Amino acid sequence: MATFMDVNLVRYLCSCGKRYPACRLYLCRHCLKLRCSDCVQHEVDSPYCPNCLENMPASEAKLKKNRCSNCFDCPICGHTLMTRATSQMMANPDDPGKSTPKKMYYMACSFCRWTTRDVGLPDRVVANGGWPDEDNADAKRINTLLESYRAVAQREKAEKERKKYVKRRSHAGFQDKYGLTSVAMKWKIQPAVANLSIKEKENEKVPSPPQMVEPVTDFDPLPPEIFTEPVQLEKVTHLTHRLAAPEFQPAETVDLRPIHKHLLVRRSLRCRECEHNLSKPDFNPLSIKFKIQLIALNHIPELRIMSPATFTPNKETVVTFTLSNPSVYNTVVKLLPIEGETDTDYMTAKIELPKADLVLAHHDDTAVYDDSSKISPEFKDDPRVIVFRRANKLGFVAKVTPICKSGDVKVSFQMKHEFRNTAAAIQSEDKEPKLEWLQQQVFVRLGRIGQ
Amino acid sequence: MELQDIYYTNAEYIETASGNKVSRQSVLCGSQNIVINGKTIVMTDCVIRGDLANVRIGRFCVVSRRAVIRPAFKKFSKGVAFFPLHIGDHVFIGEDSIVNAAQVGSYVHIGKNCVIGRRSVLKDCCAIADNTVLPPETVVPPFTIFSGSPGKVSEELPECTQDLMTDVTTSYYQHFRPHGKGK
Repeated sequence: MATFMDVNLVRYLCSCGKRYPACRLYLCRHCLKLRCSDCVQHEVDSPYCPNCLENMPASEAKLKKNRCSNCFDCPICGHTLMTRATSQMMANPDDPGKSTPKKMYYMACSFCRWTTRDVGLPDRVVANGGWPDEDNADAKRINTLLESYRAVAQREKAEKERKKYVKRRSHAGFQDKYGLTSVAMKWKIQPAVANLSIKEKENEKVPSPPQMVEPVTDFDPLPPEIFTEPVQLEKVTHLTHRLAAPEFQPAETVDLRPIHKHLLVRRSLRCRECEHNLSKPDFNPLSIKFKIQLIALNHIPELRIMSPATFTPNKETVVTFTLSNPSVYNTVVKLLPIEGETDTDYMTAKIELPKADLVLAHHDDTAVYDDSSKISPEFKDDPRVIVFRRANKLGFVAKVTPICKSGDVKVSFQMKHEFRNTAAAIQSEDKEPKLEWLQQQVFVRLGRIGQ
Repeated sequence: MELQDIYYTNAEYIETASGNKVSRQSVLCGSQNIVINGKTIVMTDCVIRGDLANVRIGRFCVVSRRAVIRPAFKKFSKGVAFFPLHIGDHVFIGEDSIVNAAQVGSYVHIGKNCVIGRRSVLKDCCAIADNTVLPPETVVPPFTIFSGSPGKVSEELPECTQDLMTDVTTSYYQHFRPHGKGK
């Protein structure tokens, strides 16, 4: 649905202040707050190759520079290269007069038809691997830099261990300096580096800094041919081709080489406050199952607009919403207006919400197989407010009066709903899960003002 | 927004005992090789090439107008061979798309006007954006959106894609109803 329907029409306010559709939000069962992907901690579970789907531990991926050793991308269009087999006549070393057929392999792109033969790479005798990697001219310099940084990191670690009274960091992941798993953790380094400069005085053994780079002051003049020779555009690479291999940046098409495929990652998410897992996928990258999955959609009543409507300025329009209940218990929902909201970015219309409590029927997995649409008599609904009721879903009406002259009609209100915390019930071994009231702010884009 | 009702004239579609709705104007070649598991909609002007190899389509799938589903072939030293095509459950195939895949998993959304290249493998819970061209033998891993030409990973899908796709395809089936038969 995230790709089929516009899920951004109804958005919920995350505890960090951002607005996201319900399918992109998580509900932490321990803090009872909404979390979005921007306010949780991402942890790399297993890197895997998107082509051969082989997964490997993060340390091995780091060693391979986060690239797959077997799969290659086309340097021109970026599609995965295919291995092709051909048979070539090879001179027999025993009998120079005769030649024997031999299977040889090369790689070709099935999209742009680039082949390794185009750039004069000799064919291989083995089907998989065996393609030589070019040596990076700066590899030595990078290694010395890495070594000196490692020394700095080690010293820092030793210092930290000496000062045991310092508050312990809660995650082993943070020890992984300079190979940080999360960019978001960058701010954590800054104070550490600042500490370093102060402690240098008290520490007798300072790791020697790497050799400084000489600044470039002048360039060689351009060769005279560049002004006289016509440019052969088909032999010059595009900027995208050069940036695809940043360590070589080939300027001519004959220097293009197959690029090792980048790995993707499976990651788990963790709440920053209580450090409980919000999402933990199965280890296998092919699996779509989760060990832990606290999606907001599975816990919070989902609000949707029933049908599109057109609006006229300062004229009342009846809009139908639907609410569906993901919980296995009947849930009471109260809709509360936001008083005194003047921000026209989120509120360009007045909304008259139903005053009475809305009772949502419980979610029943077997309801899918029950085709009879009988209305259970346990709910006494006001037909002026609740238009229909089907399984765990109900439709209610609200009157909307736009106060703007043109543009989008947007409303915002509070949704207060019951939530039965099953996580707490397991811990305390209560029979009935604890009942909590949660309140979410909802932002709805209803449509546009008709011309 | 909830899905809106889509109406069709009663004479246009055949409804089978298992709930499949197949348009009379669709072309099903080699229908003895086509298995459609139930509650699947095959719309007008679709082509399913069962004459090339077996085609299996799961439950609650939608094959939109003018889509073409044909099993993929591979060239061998002695001629070509066609591979059976298996499409999982809750798969949505958009209008004018051509699916030449070797395998399409469950909970997959293929957009409009796409070309899924020969022997591509679409795993569970993935999506192909509108107007994408997937070159032959592409692998689409779970929870990724492929877009562009050639198709490349452009975005990630939310973890609840399975629930979302189930909801979309089942409610699409419920909203796909004949004219004048209000329930």
